[in-house]
Amino acid sequence: MPLLINREPVENDSWTLVDEDTLQQSGDIIVPLALYQENQDSLSNREGHLAVQVSGDDNIDTVLENPNQFPLIAVFFPAVRDGRGFSIARLLKRAGFTGQIRATGDVSHDRLDFMTRCGFDALEIPADRYSEEVHNAFSEFSVRYQGAEDDSRPVYRQ
Amino acid sequence: MYQYNQVDQQLVNERVAQFRDQTRRFLAGDLPEDEFLALRLMNGLYVQRHAPMLRVAVPYGMMSAQQMRSLANVARTWDKGYGHFTTRTNIQFNWPKLEDVPDILEELAKVQMHAIQTSGNCIRNTTTDQFAGIIADEIEDPRPYCEIIRQWSSLHPEFAFLPRKFKIAISGGPTDRAASQVHDIGLHIVKNDAGEVGFEVLVGGGLGRTPVIGKQIRPFLQKKDLLSYLEAIIRVYNLKGRRDNKYKARIKILVNALGIDTFRELVEAEWEQIKDSDLVLTDAEISRVQGFFKPFEYEADAANDTSLDAKLAEDASFAAWFRQNTVEHKVSGYRAVIVSLKAHLVPKGDISHQQMDLVADLSDKYSFGEIRSTHNQNLVLADVRNADLYELWEILSEANLARANVGTLTDMTVCPGGDFCALANAKTLGVADQIDAKFEDLDYLYDLGDIKLNMSGCINACSHHHVGHIGILGVDKKGEDWYQITLGGSDGEDASLGKVIGKAVASDEVADTLEKVLAVFVEQRIEDERFIDCVRRIGLSPFKEKVYAPAH
Repeated sequence: MPLLINREPVENDSWTLVDEDTLQQSGDIIVPLALYQENQDSLSNREGHLAVQVSGDDNIDTVLENPNQFPLIAVFFPAVRDGRGFSIARLLKRAGFTGQIRATGDVSHDRLDFMTRCGFDALEIPADRYSEEVHNAFSEFSVRYQGAEDDSRPVYRQ
Repeated sequence: MYQYNQVDQQLVNERVAQFRDQTRRFLAGDLPEDEFLALRLMNGLYVQRHAPMLRVAVPYGMMSAQQMRSLANVARTWDKGYGHFTTRTNIQFNWPKLEDVPDILEELAKVQMHAIQTSGNCIRNTTTDQFAGIIADEIEDPRPYCEIIRQWSSLHPEFAFLPRKFKIAISGGPTDRAASQVHDIGLHIVKNDAGEVGFEVLVGGGLGRTPVIGKQIRPFLQKKDLLSYLEAIIRVYNLKGRRDNKYKARIKILVNALGIDTFRELVEAEWEQIKDSDLVLTDAEISRVQGFFKPFEYEADAANDTSLDAKLAEDASFAAWFRQNTVEHKVSGYRAVIVSLKAHLVPKGDISHQQMDLVADLSDKYSFGEIRSTHNQNLVLADVRNADLYELWEILSEANLARANVGTLTDMTVCPGGDFCALANAKTLGVADQIDAKFEDLDYLYDLGDIKLNMSGCINACSHHHVGHIGILGVDKKGEDWYQITLGGSDGEDASLGKVIGKAVASDEVADTLEKVLAVFVEQRIEDERFIDCVRRIGLSPFKEKVYAPAH
């Protein structure tokens, strides 16, 4: 799946999203939060890096308490209209998370700029929604009113 | 009124270019229909029964003469020559072509107008009092805060995909002309015991399927905290509002499910995290925006006019219009004039391109070049000299814009209904005509006094039928249009929800039913009691008995 990190295409990505069946595979894995919580013990001794994927239905309080135990946190967008992920990314940033925040799921052109402004640095775009044009998404606006994670200053403090 | 600076203009221009690109990608098949739907709604574009419908933002109801002329031009060039003002004080065009919309928006951008967030599940146009800045009872002009909210909410990266639409209203003083209690957030400008001016904050009001009166979440909020507090409320809503059922997705459902106390705790905890952040409004920013809403340079001798009294004495029609359609201005010698968009047998809130041009010219000549739209679908020229009223009235009368019915039964608030709207269950325009025809006698209407009639063509309640003194809701029964009648609603500071009087009536019986309701009122009324007060005093039973009495 095409991946942009800091707005640039990345060819080699070491991360794989796993499910119940593929949980035990080696390498760097992203585990849905509920699955991670059920298997926390068995996952603690494996080799390779471990990340979690959270979504709007998850209670992410425990993640927010210690986000930097993970090098990467994926935030899943189940549908175009589901905007919870934008707030989740901002909460992760506010909690001091310094790793990669990756948008997964329904991720496409017209939300990429908003995602970046809310703190996502990695954007995983389904292949059928990816084209060269998506790179224009970051230059559609040269001005903005609000502060966000990219720049906390609203227009009246710039 | 507010004037764009370079940043404001750039943002609107870039939004037009973005929407042009989105439309191109959609027409080329690169953007799935469902996704384009969400994107076009966020730019005010619906697809209706006959054609797309474009809703253009009129931020807190303020327009310049130049903007009004541009709207006239849009109506003439891309539509069928008219527009329709809405209860969010915006204007809708019912006949544009999808592929023309980017050009329309480009034209509007030239006069600092846009369609940003006039629909979709995002923060909508903030509304306020149509007499803001000129009415004696206000504590402070709410419009600068509306503009500050407009900027903060425009293309907010976190809040473009909320569970459902989100509406904010601000009232500038104790008399609520902004229906603030039936908004997702209602802000009341208040003065605390220390004499500081700030906001009382209400949350979780709304109409639609589940009408609810808003609840107080904070008795006093300092001005500097306005945006951080709004952001805290909306973040909690974005994260916790229901996403599984769009009919249960408004913030009112969340507030009711959690209870206002729990909801408040969540908001206050969130606010604690951000209240000292860069979101704090600076005095410089508040002053900068206030600078755009300074009082005009009124003529010192305007109050010395004697011609008005003379005209009032000699022309009874003018006197009636003066009484119904003008409002006292805080500056002596001036009045605010309500331009009625409720002409006899004309769709309520509709205005032709010729009328738009005329109103623009009149505003230039008589009212400092500014026009306001009201949430009851009329227009206001807010600053007219007493000496000019007679002349203005004559011109407005010529143009069918001076029906002296403001505040009466036929000053109806009516959505376009089933003739245009794809969501409607029933038509509204024919029923409005029926009511117009039945209650044509103005003297009878004046005798009845203040009555607010609101009619919606479906449960979405765009015309706020729940808070009409008389509410009419169109329902579909086996393919036929029927009308449910509610009594006792109000959207003022005494806000209340109307109650249904009984089973729906057939489409040809609506006006006759109203006649029975009004007969009960006339019979039971004590002196000059207002209709709403009478309903509150005597309850629904007498009305039910009369309306549903067996035929003899």
